[in-house]
Amino acid sequence: MAWKDLLVERRSKETLNALLFFSLALLFVFQFTLGPDRERLASVLPGLLWLGFILSGVLGLGRAFLVEHENDCWEALLLAPGDKSAIYLGKLLGSLALMLVVEALVLALFVVFFNVDLGPSVPSLALVIALGTVGIAAVGTLFAAMTAQVRARELLFPVLLLPVLVPVLLGTVKATEALLLREALSSVGHWLTLLIAADLVYLAVGVLTFDVILEG
Amino acid sequence: MSAWLGWLAAIGLAVGLVVGFGVAPREATQGTVQRIMYLHVPAVWVAYVAFTVGLGASIVFLARRRPGADRLAHAACEVGTVFLGVNIATGAIWGKPTWGTWWTWDARLTSVAVVFVMFLAYLLLRGAIEDRERGARYAAVLAIVAALNIPLVHFSVYWWRTLHQPPSLLKAGSSTMPAVIVAALLVNFVALGLLGAYFVARRTRLLAAEEEEALA
Amino acid sequence: MPDNWGYVIGAYGLAVVVFGAYWLRLGRREREVAALAAGRRDRAASAGRETVRSGPRSPRPASSRADAAPPVTRR
Repeated sequence: MAWKDLLVERRSKETLNALLFFSLALLFVFQFTLGPDRERLASVLPGLLWLGFILSGVLGLGRAFLVEHENDCWEALLLAPGDKSAIYLGKLLGSLALMLVVEALVLALFVVFFNVDLGPSVPSLALVIALGTVGIAAVGTLFAAMTAQVRARELLFPVLLLPVLVPVLLGTVKATEALLLREALSSVGHWLTLLIAADLVYLAVGVLTFDVILEG
Repeated sequence: MSAWLGWLAAIGLAVGLVVGFGVAPREATQGTVQRIMYLHVPAVWVAYVAFTVGLGASIVFLARRRPGADRLAHAACEVGTVFLGVNIATGAIWGKPTWGTWWTWDARLTSVAVVFVMFLAYLLLRGAIEDRERGARYAAVLAIVAALNIPLVHFSVYWWRTLHQPPSLLKAGSSTMPAVIVAALLVNFVALGLLGAYFVARRTRLLAAEEEEALA
Repeated sequence: MPDNWGYVIGAYGLAVVVFGAYWLRLGRREREVAALAAGRRDRAASAGRETVRSGPRSPRPASSRADAAPPVTRR
């Protein structure tokens, strides 16, 4: 399932390009509004980074089931044999891969444009970004399936997703902030615990309830 | 059934008012304004009880598909949102003379606001899906995610506000509150709880009547 | 500290307004549903009486059903 999505993505490249251009546009807006004040920029950088991640995520995830919906494959999905949770995990992994690629590129752009020195914190940062993205994708895939059939899909999806993701956003932004200030990973241990707990809760609910969503 | 709950609630509210204004002492530092607490704090307790009921009813609905469980979940989450709204508004009115500002992003206010928006989104979802059966299923999943998210929201916001940052706001009641004040809080909690139960009973009955009409 | 009764009344007043509005909304929708139910029963009863009396008639217009549906399914 995930492989199918990745193949679709590689062939069309639609979503990836759109997300990249969107992130680039965001970057420019951040620079225009905050550029001259270097100190303020440095202090809000973690927030801006995750703002970019979450907005790209909302855009990308909101379209997660668009292909099936537009091509009338939704019924095929409903009738597919086997455990529907596999579809959830497949979609999740597909979205996760896409989001991680976009995030890596956005991070690179941030480093270049805002002169950020990541230094030794790259692996820890990668861990935090991975944990946060898993949380976003876990809830996002579930809610995307929920809103795929609803008329007000584009409006309803972010309205549903963003409040629920507040803990994940708080955790990732604070952890990123600490890591960019060269603090040790252990100092943000509580945030990591929160992120892991959140990821487990969201994944569990997703796996357990996805077939309920796909009943019709 | 809901009628005598209503009368009980009315009596309870009257008793609560008497206790809150007549029995409970005038607080030294804040003066009369502190009495808003007897409305503000029980309101959030009732709201969280309501959301817990909504969580349980949603799980029962997904497991057993009993329409009564869905109606209870819907009513409980709706009533909970109303009580939470009252909590937030009375909190702001309390905050203005006490802290000099209508709103601060302190831990309690912020986490309650996030939970409020989550369940507003729940009500939006219910309104957006016309198919009654699908709406019930999707709403149940959302209620489970939202309710399980409440502790995550509280922890994340609390850590965000209090770590590396001493709590600087006036706490209305210290951790050792006089027994009279605790008693007054509990009395008002029972009173508002009865009011909430009355609303839930009436709302579930209305939902049942509306369903019957739609099917006729 | 000054007494600030205005704020206290404001807060309790707001609660009264919010709970009262919710209570009134419940009442209004209950009356709506009851009216719809009564109307449906009356139509069914009168249609039954007339078919007994005068044999087959032209079908009842569907507009009343369409009007009934939207308000109750919305929430």
